[in-house]
Amino acid sequence: MRISLKWLKDYVALPASVDELASRLTMAGLEIEGIERPAEALKGVVVARILESEKHPNADKLSVTKIDFGGAAPLQVVCGAKNYKVGDKVPLATVGTKLPNGVEIKQAPLRGVDSHGMLCSSKELGITEESSGLLILHADAKVGQPIAEALGLDDVVFTVNVTPNRADALSHLGIAREVATLFNVPLKKPEVKLAESATEASTKITIRIDDPERCWRYAARVIEGVTVKPSPQWMQDRLKAAGMRGINNLVDITNYVLLEYGQPLHAFDLDRIGGAQIVVRTAKGGEKLTTLDAKERALHADDLLICDRDTPLVLAGVMGGASSEVTEKTTRVLLECATFQPTTVRRSSKRHALHTESSHRFERGTDINVVPEVLDRTAALIAELGGGTVLKGRVDVFPAPKPARQVTLRTQKVADVLGVVVPAADCHRILASLGFKKLSGDDVTATFEVPSVRVDVSIEEDLVEEIARVRGFDAIPEALPRGLSELEPERPAMRVERLIRGAMAGQGVDEVVNYSFVSPAELAAFSAGEGAIAVGNPLSVEQAVMRTTLFPSLVQNVIRASRHQTQGVRFYEWARSYSPDQSGGKGAVPVAKEVLEVAGVVWGMRHGQRTWTAKDAEADYFDARAIVESTLRALHIEGVTTESFESPWYHPRSATLVRKGQTVLGTLGELHPRVMKKLDAPAGIVLFQLNVEALQSVSVLVPQAKGLSKFPAVLRDLAVVVPAEMQSEAVRQVILEVGRPLVEDAQVFDVYSGHQVGAGRKNLAYALRYRSPEKTLTDTEVTEAHDKIVAEVTRRLGGALRA
Amino acid sequence: MPDDMQDRLKALAEAARTDISNAQNAQQLEALKGRFLGKKGELAAVLGSMGKLAPEERKAVGEIANKVKGEVEQLLATAQTRLEDAALEEELKGPKLDVTLPGRAAQFGRRHPVSQTLEDIVRVFSRLGFEVYSGPEIELDWYNFEALNVPADHPARDMQDTFYVDATWLPKGVGPVVLRTHTSPVQIRTMLAHKPPLRGVMPGRVYRKDSDQTHTPMFHQVEGLLVDEKVTFAELKGTLAAFAKAFFGASTKTRFRPSFFPFTEPSAEVDVSCVFCSGKGCRVCKHTGWLEVLGSGMVHPNVFKHAGYDASKVTGSAFGMGVERLAMLRYGIDDLRTMFENDARFLAQF
Repeated sequence: MRISLKWLKDYVALPASVDELASRLTMAGLEIEGIERPAEALKGVVVARILESEKHPNADKLSVTKIDFGGAAPLQVVCGAKNYKVGDKVPLATVGTKLPNGVEIKQAPLRGVDSHGMLCSSKELGITEESSGLLILHADAKVGQPIAEALGLDDVVFTVNVTPNRADALSHLGIAREVATLFNVPLKKPEVKLAESATEASTKITIRIDDPERCWRYAARVIEGVTVKPSPQWMQDRLKAAGMRGINNLVDITNYVLLEYGQPLHAFDLDRIGGAQIVVRTAKGGEKLTTLDAKERALHADDLLICDRDTPLVLAGVMGGASSEVTEKTTRVLLECATFQPTTVRRSSKRHALHTESSHRFERGTDINVVPEVLDRTAALIAELGGGTVLKGRVDVFPAPKPARQVTLRTQKVADVLGVVVPAADCHRILASLGFKKLSGDDVTATFEVPSVRVDVSIEEDLVEEIARVRGFDAIPEALPRGLSELEPERPAMRVERLIRGAMAGQGVDEVVNYSFVSPAELAAFSAGEGAIAVGNPLSVEQAVMRTTLFPSLVQNVIRASRHQTQGVRFYEWARSYSPDQSGGKGAVPVAKEVLEVAGVVWGMRHGQRTWTAKDAEADYFDARAIVESTLRALHIEGVTTESFESPWYHPRSATLVRKGQTVLGTLGELHPRVMKKLDAPAGIVLFQLNVEALQSVSVLVPQAKGLSKFPAVLRDLAVVVPAEMQSEAVRQVILEVGRPLVEDAQVFDVYSGHQVGAGRKNLAYALRYRSPEKTLTDTEVTEAHDKIVAEVTRRLGGALRA
Repeated sequence: MPDDMQDRLKALAEAARTDISNAQNAQQLEALKGRFLGKKGELAAVLGSMGKLAPEERKAVGEIANKVKGEVEQLLATAQTRLEDAALEEELKGPKLDVTLPGRAAQFGRRHPVSQTLEDIVRVFSRLGFEVYSGPEIELDWYNFEALNVPADHPARDMQDTFYVDATWLPKGVGPVVLRTHTSPVQIRTMLAHKPPLRGVMPGRVYRKDSDQTHTPMFHQVEGLLVDEKVTFAELKGTLAAFAKAFFGASTKTRFRPSFFPFTEPSAEVDVSCVFCSGKGCRVCKHTGWLEVLGSGMVHPNVFKHAGYDASKVTGSAFGMGVERLAMLRYGIDDLRTMFENDARFLAQF
């Protein structure tokens, strides 16, 4: 909201500098977001009168003028414009002035003729975007007067960020009330001098409220014999400063009072109201209304309307209608001032996407008791500035006046909430200055009547806030919370997160953070769009559905990297995937299944680029697998099995399911070539995904130390030729089983297929480590065990020992 | 002929002295060792002829022979050391490695700046005894708004542009469903599940329908909640001032400004002295010297009512902060959107 300080001064003397005023208001909860000082930008520009004008001796397009600017002698100024005549008053930028467009005025010859300043256009002064020729000023502008004054720009304008609770502050009077409280100075309300004719307004109009739930009060006055014309300059200047545009005197006056009191008003052409009757009701089926913005709107049964006998005239609290608006021909005015249920106005405003100065205030709540005063003030202004006669009396329908709210304040409560003792006298003084009337009570407990403008105040805590706010939060000391709550051990989930992230860092995997929503097409490419949760009002189709898997985002990260000539990435994301939960929403059960995953992608050069130690290191399935294995190791998860499985997004040859017993921990594999094509992704993408909760369920967070054997190990290699499709793990399991208890470990160290081992076969080589916890093994014992393993592997797996 | 034997031993020793000290390499030294001390070597030859001597002569010659043997061994050892030293000298003078070549590529993964910042925030509050709680992101309107004292059709709803979800899978009457606009619904869930006293932080993803240089439709918040008998605004100030010092630096100042949040009363915006200009005023703080980083306040009694707490027995303070905002300040990132582009070149900087 924009507040003109010039205007504000009508109601309160400003007791401090502009900056201090801004700071005090900010620190009391009315944040001043911006301060405009248009006059400062126009320093050095004054009103000047053109005394003479002659053609420039050396330039056809220029003139040489003599001008009076209030100085001792006339000045000579060279000018390029043609739109003036001698005697006109124009802005003169004197020598030394820096114009808003950055031009600095210097005394210099122009084509051989000295020029002592510059005559300006409105564009040069930064007042308008475009202009042609000099800005010709009003004839009664005073020569020598600063231009800002002459143009009504000698104002300071605050932009106030009014929070939704402070409906009372959405006006110049509201801000003035706050200033009066903060600086302890008197508030001066506008004086209303209203002369009424003998004719009763109630003879000209009848008002009926059919829906008193939605319309709490509807009051009106009638003014006859009005002349519609432009409003005076001072009013237009003020409206402009507040961000509104002058239209005509009637509209301007209602806007002016809206900005003055925060109470919206509406002026009807009384002659255009059918049956001289106002009916406040909700819309009937099929009704339509053309609003002032020339849009025809289909009305909803929940829309509250101001109607005449037959048809809707106004969308209540939001916008007037074209059919009854005041025009140049209007002479008889019905002036409306009403109070509507805030939620009704808000729903209509949202429904019709119409946010107006009026709806903004009604939906926050207006002061129901100020209605008569505002009506009189407005009628008086119309009579003053538009001629006309105000008919006698208000037609005021107020079906259910409510008593003022009362709130009790315990002085101890202030100390309990704020942590600082505020004496009762101080509390009561602050409340009184804000218009709260003390009804009864003492220093321990007192009951206050809430002023009707403070629609936000209804409980004791609200009073505490007012006291804290006006005293300033700086007056509250800092203290650390008393007593630690009992410390619990670190949550397993926290520890698991730390260990997994450590594993990722150790494997050189960078973390990414992607949006939780993706495009339906991306999910469909992964055949993962079925049943995905859709955002009802997405910003774009790229953000329309909640991810059922993190992979689409990770593949996009790779696509971006490849576009930027990054040669390889290793990324992981720590986030949730989402799917509907049919049994969700009951009690505390979340509405959706949100599964925490750590998912990642490996693509391109293993180290992001070629390196001199590994020239052709293209990452592949086994890089991703190493990341998964490291993670499992970090969590001390042993006995994990991996197997092929079918998946729509992995290449069938490498789709891998990772399990411990029946618990599926995750999956990994190369991106399916079809998905790759659909997404136009680069080749060589490998993905992995682990379910964090599943990992946690089988992890060992605090491993227990095992004793180390004191006896030496014996290392033996074993090479075996097996069918090509045989999985290395199967062979390893046989080695470990048969070799028990002497084989401590067996690791594949070579996989070879080629003509030497024959078609359809491959050679697997294992490094075996023999050890006994009880003694040093003899060569004979090891050989005996080794031979047994060879025999069993050959027998069970159809392998052959390689020479 | 003991004299003859003595001469032979003397000559042997003499030859050993000359030849061993002239040895140029390990092979020559090895050959010399064989020549003088080997089984068929010169000393053995001399000793072999000792059988012909009388016992007393034998004794005298034996003594000399032992002395010579000892001297030759000593000579060999000295030469050995000399040659090893020389060889080492030679090696040390040899060609150098290219010590400017990079190391064999090491793996080093970095965390996203947002997640680093989030961890740092949570760690500070952990030191103050706050537990970590979490809750769903796809949330019932009731938890996200109603229970937080933001009824339907209230203008406060405009403070947060909301994404709605068509939760067609839910039974009639359950809903509406939103993407949570803040982490505050976790406050409600936590209070419903735990009795007071309570001291917790609730980090996570939140969503708002907004996108420009300073807004993204998804971002992260950390929410904090402290409930006990007689929790005060003074303690809230102290806690957040402590946080600001721990997070931004020991000289950081904080400023509390009255504001409005439907779920707190009183409510305050919290500014910290600008981390770039130390409060002197610069472009980042728009020449105010202050940066707005937190919202806070005392828990509204209506929130307690919805959470099943007795507002006449406990009070509470709550606060919330945007993680991206703090990450941007901390790392000097000026376009929020770069956070979610996940450009490898961006991620490599943190």
